Amino acid sequence: MTSGTSFDRDKLAKIHDHLHSHLPPEPALRVKALESLLVERGLVASETLDAWVDAYSEDIGPKRGAQVVARAWLDVDFKARLMDDAAKAITEFGFEGKATGDLKAVENTDSQHNVVVCTLCSCYPFSLLGLSPAWYKASAYRARVVREPRKVLEEFGVELGEDTAVRVWDSTAELRYLVVPQRPAGTEGWTQEQLAAIVTRNSMIGTDRVLKAGS
Amino acid sequence: MDTLHDLGGKQGFGPVDVNEPEAPWHHDWEGRMWAMAQSSRNTTVTIDWWRHVVEQLPPQAYMTIPYFEKWCMTDLALGVDCGTFTVEDALNIDEKTDVRPPDAPVPEVMNKVQILEKNRTSVKTFEEQVDFAPAYAVGDKVETLAHSVPTHTRLPAYARGRIGEILAHRGAHPLPDKSAQGVEAPEHLYTVVFTARELWGEDADPRDTVTLDLWESYLERL
Repeated sequence: MTSGTSFDRDKLAKIHDHLHSHLPPEPALRVKALESLLVERGLVASETLDAWVDAYSEDIGPKRGAQVVARAWLDVDFKARLMDDAAKAITEFGFEGKATGDLKAVENTDSQHNVVVCTLCSCYPFSLLGLSPAWYKASAYRARVVREPRKVLEEFGVELGEDTAVRVWDSTAELRYLVVPQRPAGTEGWTQEQLAAIVTRNSMIGTDRVLKAGS
Repeated sequence: MDTLHDLGGKQGFGPVDVNEPEAPWHHDWEGRMWAMAQSSRNTTVTIDWWRHVVEQLPPQAYMTIPYFEKWCMTDLALGVDCGTFTVEDALNIDEKTDVRPPDAPVPEVMNKVQILEKNRTSVKTFEEQVDFAPAYAVGDKVETLAHSVPTHTRLPAYARGRIGEILAHRGAHPLPDKSAQGVEAPEHLYTVVFTARELWGEDADPRDTVTLDLWESYLERL
C-alpha cells in the first residue's frame, strides 16, 4: 500500500544496497523494471511517457534559449526585463516550465565570461534549454570547472581576452542560470530567426563564447 | 554529509568529452527515465530528500553508474520506501508483464500537446514570503561554516570556511537541510561571490571568481 516516504536515510541506503546488488547491471533493464512497476500499478501510462519523450525531443530544447537570447540582442526593453527577472521574461514566449521558476540571466561582456555548473548534482533549466549534455552531468566537469575553469574552457575551444575575468556560477540552490552570450559582429540587420540560429547550446551554459556570424 | 556527490574541486579527473553529439538522450532508456521522473513520483518526496536519496547510493555505484541510472535507482528505492512496490517486485519483474490489473487505478493518458501544456504550467518558484528580514545586504562580507553537517546540505566542501561577499539577496527559499527531512523551513538565500584565490589559493587566477547560492544559516558575519 502506497504511503508517504520515511525520510529515513539509513533505510534508503539499505534499500539502495540491496537493489544495486541484485538487479541486473544493465541500466536499460533497470529502467524497464521501474516502468513496468509503475504501469502495472496504474501510476503512469506508457503513452504518456512517449509524449514526454517526444515533447523534450521535438519541441523543448536549446532552440528555445536561442530565441530568448536573439530577442535580447534585438530588443533593449526585452533585454532589461530578462536581466531583471528572467523567469518572468521567458513567459513572453511560453517557455516556462520545469526548473525555470527561479531563472536568472547573466550576461557576458568583454571583461567577464560566465560559465554555469552544478557541482552537487546536475541542476539545469530544462524547460528553456532542454536536456543537459552528458558532459555537464559528468564528474570531470562538475569537479574541474570550479577549480580550473580556464583549462576546462580551453578544452571547449573557448578563447578569452587578456582582460576577461571568468565567473563560475555553481547552482547550489533552486536558481537556474542562463548565460547571455555577446552578439557577434557581422550580424547587423539580421532577424531574430537568423540570430537564434547562431546561438549555440554551449554558449548559454558558458562553454562557448565567440559566436560565429558565418556558420 | 561528506558523500562523494560533493565533487567541486576534486582532482584527478581527465578531460571533458567536448565532442559529444547534441541530442537530448544517447540511449532510449534515458528518455524513458526522464519521462517517468516527470510524471510519477510520490508527492511526499521533496526535491531535497530526493537528492539526498541519490547521495545514499553505494559510493562505488555513485561514481560509476550513468546519470539517469542514478535517477532510476533512486525512484526504485523510494518506491519501495513508500510501499508502492517491494524489493521482490522489482527483482522479479521479468516474470511479469506490463499489463495493468483490473483493480489498479487508471492513469491519465496524455498526448504531446497536453504534455507541453503540463510542462508549461508546472513552473514554480521556490521563493516564499516570510515575515523576517534578511540578515545580510549586498556588499556584506560573510564567512561560510567551516565544518560538515550530519544531514543533507547544499554548502559544498570546497566553499566551507571561506570568506565571500553578498552579491544578491534572492528572497527566502526552503532550507534544503530541513526539507530533506520533510520539514518546511524557509530561510533567506543569497548569491555569494568568492575570489578564486580565496577558494583555491595563490595559484588561482586573480581575475576569476566563483558564485554559490547559499542560505543564511550557512553564513556568519565577519
